[in-house]
Amino acid sequence: MKSTAIGILAILLVSAFCVLLLLTVDYHGARGGTDNPYLAAGASETGAVNLVSGIYLNYRLYDSLFELLIFSMAVLGVRFYLNAEKSTKPNVARVAESPVVRIAADLLFGPIMLIGVYLIVFGHLSPGGGFSGGAVGGTGLLLCAAALGAEVVARRFHEQIIEQIEWGILLLIILFAVAPIFFDRLPLTDLLPSGRVGKLLSGGTIPIYNGLIGIKVFIGTWVVIYSFIRHRGEI
Amino acid sequence: MIIALLPLGHFLIGVLSLLWQRGARRILPFALLIDVALIGSLWSRVAGGTSVSLVLGGWGRDLGIELVADKISLGFSFLALLLTLAVTVYLWRERQRPYFYVLLHFLLASVFALVFARDLFNIYVIIEILTLVSFLLVGYERKARQIWASLNYLILAALGMAMYLFGVGIIYYHTGTLNLTLLGERIAGMQDQLWLITASTLLVVGVSIKAGVFVFSLWLPAAHASASPAVSALLSGLVIKMGVVVLFRLSTVLDISLPLIVLGGITGVVGAVYTMFTYELKRMLAFSTLSQVGYLLVGIGIGTPLAIAGSLTYGVAHGLSKGLLFLAAGQVVNTTGSAFISEQVARQEKIPRATRIALFVGTLSIIGLPPLVGFCAKGLLSAATDSLPLHLLLVFVSLGTVVAFSKLTPLLNPRYGCSDERAKAISYGILALPIFAFLPASFLFVSWIQVLSWLGPLQAGESVAIIGAGFLVYLVLRGHPVRLPQRIFRLEEAILLILAVFFATFFLLAGSV
Amino acid sequence: MDVANGVTIAVILFGVGIFALIIRRDLVIKLLALGLIDSSSVLFLVSLNAQDNGIAPIVHGPGANYVDPLPQALVISAIVINFALLALALVFVMLLVERYHTTDSLRIAQQVEREKRS
Repeated sequence: MKSTAIGILAILLVSAFCVLLLLTVDYHGARGGTDNPYLAAGASETGAVNLVSGIYLNYRLYDSLFELLIFSMAVLGVRFYLNAEKSTKPNVARVAESPVVRIAADLLFGPIMLIGVYLIVFGHLSPGGGFSGGAVGGTGLLLCAAALGAEVVARRFHEQIIEQIEWGILLLIILFAVAPIFFDRLPLTDLLPSGRVGKLLSGGTIPIYNGLIGIKVFIGTWVVIYSFIRHRGEI
Repeated sequence: MIIALLPLGHFLIGVLSLLWQRGARRILPFALLIDVALIGSLWSRVAGGTSVSLVLGGWGRDLGIELVADKISLGFSFLALLLTLAVTVYLWRERQRPYFYVLLHFLLASVFALVFARDLFNIYVIIEILTLVSFLLVGYERKARQIWASLNYLILAALGMAMYLFGVGIIYYHTGTLNLTLLGERIAGMQDQLWLITASTLLVVGVSIKAGVFVFSLWLPAAHASASPAVSALLSGLVIKMGVVVLFRLSTVLDISLPLIVLGGITGVVGAVYTMFTYELKRMLAFSTLSQVGYLLVGIGIGTPLAIAGSLTYGVAHGLSKGLLFLAAGQVVNTTGSAFISEQVARQEKIPRATRIALFVGTLSIIGLPPLVGFCAKGLLSAATDSLPLHLLLVFVSLGTVVAFSKLTPLLNPRYGCSDERAKAISYGILALPIFAFLPASFLFVSWIQVLSWLGPLQAGESVAIIGAGFLVYLVLRGHPVRLPQRIFRLEEAILLILAVFFATFFLLAGSV
Repeated sequence: MDVANGVTIAVILFGVGIFALIIRRDLVIKLLALGLIDSSSVLFLVSLNAQDNGIAPIVHGPGANYVDPLPQALVISAIVINFALLALALVFVMLLVERYHTTDSLRIAQQVEREKRS
């Protein structure tokens, strides 16, 4: 088919598709289902004030485990494919060392990491959680790499050890989730008792999961970014 | 308890294999043994037809994620174990990187998770894992063809899952639950609502892209043909069936039988035609997978217990046969270096005898020779179809399959050929044994008495007649190769086709309620 | 009306994404379109369950108009999954581009075909 024919067909089919979605679904109709079961008792059952964290780290932890698996496999895949191919020497001019970037990184690195840690630790009390906190931390490292050069930062993190830590943490997370089987409870219920609602030391096992996930996502983000940088030659 | 242990256990062992890379290859058989033990203990509770249900975390069904084990789940778990064992043995001599075994563990973990899943979003996450693992496995050898094929696959699968997510959003908005059982209760009176039709179409289309339905899965020939043989065996034999299992679970809640039958019919017929006129060995097997999925969908669409038993039995049967065929085909391509089927290639001494016999057994099973497992399943299906047009459709697809596989006759001659590596031969045996042993072991999906009562001389005679007729048709068509349009397998045309058939499915659904 | 607008935008973005996936031949643009599609499905899920006077489901006490927390939890998983897929797709695009020195999907497809024939 010629490209104009493809273009016309595409416009027709895609717009019909959008129109179908918009018209047939009753967006203003009554919401189905009974009162939301999570809102009713979520806070006291999980001990977490942030109900969203309570859901994906307590009621639906199973999904989050598999989602972590996907993330880990992505990191594994990126490392496997990019490290095996040594790219041909790229003709990319090194970015001139700019004092602006260096000074800005000096100023910003601390607060960024602090925000990342805050998001992780307070994940059960306010929006945030392990994933966002880890991503923020990883991006902070990227800023550091932009200022100092990726090799300098990478030398601090020995690759083998980082890899072991990353998978070791995943192992810990799964063991932690599965361990209640051997304590005579159905799997994935929380081990520790949920404490007082609203205080920092509450939330049952949620802060532990948040912490572990945060470290894992932090390492994973850095590995992905660094693999791309190393493959290309320099930022 | 055990239901959650199967997927999570494999997940755990996969991570362990990554940490202890030298032992990765040796852990795998032990893990499989533990799996057999676990499935065996579950079997005793499921055998009577009841199902075992577990909500993770001990919450209620409306709060947590539910996992349910029934006969169908265990049947497919059994298939998964056999295929993985065969693939491991097949690759025993060639030292793979530990990364490969880790991927196998994750593949098994997600397959187990999917057969037990009863929650819409859980299904979404697991299907995405399956996409990712297949994607990584297809591109494993880093050849350009594989990378291009898996990129196409990834884009189409991601598009499909985005549609699926739209469907999930709509359903959740109107019913407030993601659990399939609760969903069934809540939409009990609402079959004719437009939003339900749109949502069902979105869900079905999204999953069909992964399930090997012809118009949606146009990535399949390229991906399965270019992957290494062990990976193709796993993909064609196992991963595709997972999509079909999900469609089956959806069909127990949503009323999607008509689109399933129509889509299944189209898949079967067009796939059979393409299979007949492809002369490249692995590509032909991939097309054959597409057309056999048509059988499965028609059976699920019909919906009677006999039809469902027939189609899901055929899922397992086809998994075994296609796995065997792909492993053998891989060996053929390895030893001769050519991917095409031709007379001179077939007579070469280089193709080992064991491979030829394996191809023979696999072919016999797929074309439905009694009393192999392929015949059992096809016989059940043909006994379940009452309406004449549907029956003729299935006959046509069977005929096409026979014609297509008759092409392999020169290859099947065990007179030529040297002896094969022990490992490969054992791996063929692992898959071939259940193919022969099915009739005695058919309490997998239906009871012993029931199978025998439906598979009488009528079905056997029909099968043999089809085989004979097909061979004659092949002899007639032998000298006249036909070139079929290949442009629809490009990404752009594939997406357009998906959208177009989306509308067709929508109107089919709207018309049927 | 705000809620409906969010949903409308999500569906329109989905359409734009699919359209770009079909029309544009550059592989990187295809990946961007895929990212757009993923973001639009996430937006759809969230804005569908939003309420006009709702507040975030951080529970301070009973009685306030909390928004449904479940879709937001689903969205967290969906975002991470889509990120993972996109990262790997990008890696494969990089490998292909390095091998064939072009980002044009049509030309890459033709090259792959040609290699297969030979």
